[in-house]
Amino acid sequence: MASTSARIRTLINENLEVDGQSIDLPQDLNISLVEAGVPSMDLVAFAKLVSKEFNITFTIEHCTQFKSVQELVDFIDSQS
Amino acid sequence: MPTSVVECWWRPFRKVGRAEVVHVDLAPHAAREAAALTWLDEKERAHRQRYLHRGPRRRFALCRTALRALLCRRLGCRNERLAFGASDHGKPYALVQGEPAPISFNVSHSGEHGLIALAEEGRLGVDVEERRVRRDLDGLIRTVLGQEEQAQLASARGYRKLHLFYDFWTLKEALVKALGLGLSLDMSRFEIPPAMRQGGTTCTFQFPQAPAIRWRLVDLGNERFAAAIAHELDLDSN
Repeated sequence: MASTSARIRTLINENLEVDGQSIDLPQDLNISLVEAGVPSMDLVAFAKLVSKEFNITFTIEHCTQFKSVQELVDFIDSQS
Repeated sequence: MPTSVVECWWRPFRKVGRAEVVHVDLAPHAAREAAALTWLDEKERAHRQRYLHRGPRRRFALCRTALRALLCRRLGCRNERLAFGASDHGKPYALVQGEPAPISFNVSHSGEHGLIALAEEGRLGVDVEERRVRRDLDGLIRTVLGQEEQAQLASARGYRKLHLFYDFWTLKEALVKALGLGLSLDMSRFEIPPAMRQGGTTCTFQFPQAPAIRWRLVDLGNERFAAAIAHELDLDSN
């Protein structure tokens, strides 16, 4: 199975965009979804997708509290 | 002053009780953006730079400058003396010469529209959303709406369903933002009162978990966007 970071990248690429543009994540994933400009409604939808994909409890609060996508990946790994 | 070289990009939108709501035009406009940058402090310019895309950078700069101008006018202070702090949940507040200023405000933006709500006192929350078609609408409905709200949308179709969802979302988001708890509050745990769901434009709202506090809730939506404001009522208004 693909790594957590690869799966998160795929989820973001396939489901999130800003002003019609895909989010070009840096290699080190050192950017938060809020800084990427993702609106709160999209974060709610994304949190739901993450919960389903990884079968964990994951809320929009998680999306906003992590300072980077990498922190989000680390959190998911810590849940498994 | 940005207004000395570029026409103001914000305009009075509504008066809601003792709160003032201002509309901010966030359409791409190079001269406005350049003027806005001169109003931001170093921290704000760094914040703007962290956004990956031009749209969020533009929205932040134009909204923050409009907010600065409005606060300076209300507080009678110079822009250089105004700064912003943030609560634990990220809700910003104004500082004048390092001291919290006696004013309440909240900001929201979506696409080409921003709204800024200001009042002398009482917690405030405002939300604006352009009504974008969403492929995940049904999932969002199940996630953020309560049982009665979901039941009402179950019989709606197409644009009507989308319109109602955005109405409910903005009303709820305004309340959550007014509370200042960020998005830690599960939006499905409270419901918009039936009168508002049936097309009413204003009501007094109480969270079931905190009924002692009353909020004025007003639908500010129009043909261009869905929007709402929540303003904490003082004891005299109860």
